[in-house]
Amino acid sequence: MNILNPRVYVTLIAMALLLVVPVASDSPFIYHIFVLLCLFAALSTAWNIVGGFAGQLSLGHAVFYGIGSYAAVLLMMRFGISPWIGMIVGALISILVSVIISYPCFRLRGPFFALATIAVLEVIRLVAINQTGLTGGAAGLAPPLKRGLEWMMVREKWVYLLIAFGFLVLTLLVSQIIKNSRLGYYLVAVREREDAALAVGVNSVKVKIIAVMVSAALTSAVGSFHAMYLGFIDPGSAFSLELSIQVAMFALIGGLGTVFGPLVGTVLVLPIAELARGWLSDFGNGFHGLVYGVVLVVVVLTIPKGIVGRFGPAFGRWVDSLPGGRRQETVAAVSAALPKAPASPTQGKPILVANDLNLYFGGLHATNNVSLSLQEGEILGVIGPNGAGKTTVFNQLSGFLRPNSGEIKVRLVDGSWVSPTNPVEFAKAGIGRTFQIAQPFADLTVMENIMLGAFMNTRSPAEASKIARQVAQLTDLTSMLETRAKNLTVGGMKRLEMARALATKPRVLLLDEVLAGLNPADVSKAIEIIRRVRDSGVSVLMIEHIMQAVMELSDRVVVINSGSVLKEGAPREVVSDPRVIEAYLGKEYSHA
Amino acid sequence: MDIFIQLVVNGLLLGGTLAIISVGLTLIFGIVRVVNFAHGEFLMVGMYAVYLLYKYSGMHPYVAVLPAIVILFIGGALMQRFIIQPLLSADPHIQIFATVGVSTALLNLALLVFGADVFSVKLNDVSSSTLKLGSLTVVSGQLITFCVSIVLMLLLNWFLHSTYLGRAVRATAQHRYAAQLMGVNVERIYIFAFGLGCACLGLASGLLLPQYPVFPTVGSFFVLTAFVIVVLGGLGSLSGAFLGSMIIGLVDSLAGYYIAPDLKEVVYFLIFIGILIVRPTGLLGLGRGSE
Repeated sequence: MNILNPRVYVTLIAMALLLVVPVASDSPFIYHIFVLLCLFAALSTAWNIVGGFAGQLSLGHAVFYGIGSYAAVLLMMRFGISPWIGMIVGALISILVSVIISYPCFRLRGPFFALATIAVLEVIRLVAINQTGLTGGAAGLAPPLKRGLEWMMVREKWVYLLIAFGFLVLTLLVSQIIKNSRLGYYLVAVREREDAALAVGVNSVKVKIIAVMVSAALTSAVGSFHAMYLGFIDPGSAFSLELSIQVAMFALIGGLGTVFGPLVGTVLVLPIAELARGWLSDFGNGFHGLVYGVVLVVVVLTIPKGIVGRFGPAFGRWVDSLPGGRRQETVAAVSAALPKAPASPTQGKPILVANDLNLYFGGLHATNNVSLSLQEGEILGVIGPNGAGKTTVFNQLSGFLRPNSGEIKVRLVDGSWVSPTNPVEFAKAGIGRTFQIAQPFADLTVMENIMLGAFMNTRSPAEASKIARQVAQLTDLTSMLETRAKNLTVGGMKRLEMARALATKPRVLLLDEVLAGLNPADVSKAIEIIRRVRDSGVSVLMIEHIMQAVMELSDRVVVINSGSVLKEGAPREVVSDPRVIEAYLGKEYSHA
Repeated sequence: MDIFIQLVVNGLLLGGTLAIISVGLTLIFGIVRVVNFAHGEFLMVGMYAVYLLYKYSGMHPYVAVLPAIVILFIGGALMQRFIIQPLLSADPHIQIFATVGVSTALLNLALLVFGADVFSVKLNDVSSSTLKLGSLTVVSGQLITFCVSIVLMLLLNWFLHSTYLGRAVRATAQHRYAAQLMGVNVERIYIFAFGLGCACLGLASGLLLPQYPVFPTVGSFFVLTAFVIVVLGGLGSLSGAFLGSMIIGLVDSLAGYYIAPDLKEVVYFLIFIGILIVRPTGLLGLGRGSE
């Protein structure tokens, strides 16, 4: 970390203010506000790991906060165990609970997680109220007064402030590390487009569960400390829906999915609300809650990206213009040419084999006894009229559909055969695929899109970006690396599809109509790219309608019609087969 | 045995109450594709409205149902037009935040205006008397609510399947863009649907008030159960919501007696998690829940 970089020193100064202001003011109230600020910002930052990065909206995060509180207080009261240890126990329980809640929900798409978290919160709160023997019920619990740092109870306010600040720094660091790691990229990928994430080998359920586990543990730890700081807990405030919403709201206002957003949101909103609670209490109970609700709606309607999301980039540019600001990094040009693969000893032997695939969609026999094999180093074209079932076969070859019967096997580098059963396993076995309807991670840049593919073989973002640059060169995307994927042209998106698949370093590439909709210049460019890819040692299976490309590229062609293989052979031989002509053009043309 | 039958009857009657609330929630989700986290607070608003009408104009809660329906229809329509509509193409979780914001604001507004006090309506008429049927005891107000819930289901079903507007609503629910191409004004349908879902709550509030007191958090009391019901029945499925209400009503009544009254919420939750694992589309869902 370079202290002279303005991004570093501005951050340090801003963070230091959280300590300097209360110490300078020396007022107990200001101390209290800043302790709260640090704790709520820490809670909100922890929430953001699952709510922002993973895009899974939790409205019941107080569950973990409450578990942490109760674990620390109960262990201290019953067994005289230090709350620091109680904090760890609480975090472990929270992790367990988070997995129980999220596993069923994360396999589904839809609002289930939000509903489940809110339901769990309610249930646990009621249980805590009713199990008076264990929790003291609605009357609450107060930990016995024992002074000393090991009991998290001290006389000096500044110690509390330092600990709270420590929690904040810890959550920010965790959040920063996740964001810049492979996990961070994966989380964004899953949030943006789950199918495409699967195709580059991301186990979406797993990465989301990791995020929720980290978030739950941090939230729980902060809960333990907050309970000791308050010196009193009760089910109503430990497992409170209001707290859960507040924490989520600070993150939203600051900016979902940004590292510093939750802190910014908390710093802006919490003091105002706390002051309002004091000054405006004459107006009656509920006034600050009303303000929270209205602010939330207004923010959602006006700046849904939050303050950091909306103004962060401009602020970043201003910071960079400060003394010591970073100059534009120059990137060393990378060589475009993929190395020509040395002749493989297994050249020409099958690498991907499908035997007797059958798949029914209700009464429709969509794939009827299809067998095909792809030889290492060849380009196999798959053609057939619209609706023939080409993409259906393709989806089975990449794990997105499971055949009702039949087997698919892939030869690995070491010569052994495996039969993957889901998209992630296929991707890991070396099968890369594109989607007929391009599925870019729309809000990410071209660079980040390709990096997501590259992460399959490396954990390091630097390495991934190197691979991404190489692949971009190969697919003519270098000039667009910083463009957001949603702003690409159709041709650009199709090339991006290919680039992302190539970045996974596949040994087999499945291309689903990558040429459709391109203009003639782009078509010849793409043909050139596909040929280069094959020459680098990748076997290619492509579905294509553009006959020019099929004839030029394919070593062999398979024709699929009405769900079954109609003909297989060399391109010339296939297109002159009367049955093939009939399938495309109708009977009366078959003698043409 | 008598106790068992009594519990079953109680459960089904409770199910009727829950059904009116859940049907509104599932209707909004099925059509607008937004989970209305402010649903409970709309119910609370309806109950306060009925309470005020009763207190200041002496209107019977069953009569006050009509103005309550109108008020909540307008409330729901306004919410759709000015809060949800601008967010239609935003991320689903942004929409959830918006409804959570409305929920927080309404709840605290009630706290500000009415305080945390509990208000109830005491009537000595058909809405609160008890009927004896052999060894069974039934609160007639609950029986009325149950019958109304069945009539509501039949009416909604007729409306959605046999009127032009109803068909337009279903078309919109199935495919927003295709419906637009068929000349359906989708934005207006959404406004109507959101209003309709909330109007169900107007009906519920008049029927509930003779039996339940009103206080600012009364909504979450019912609506958290409604969430479970709606997922159980299949998000967006009307008949699923009805079936789910009956099941949860029975579970509430039987688990409260045979297991422990303070653990019945745990039973709900186990059902909720179980259904997500075994059949995430819900009992009568058409697979839309996984969209």
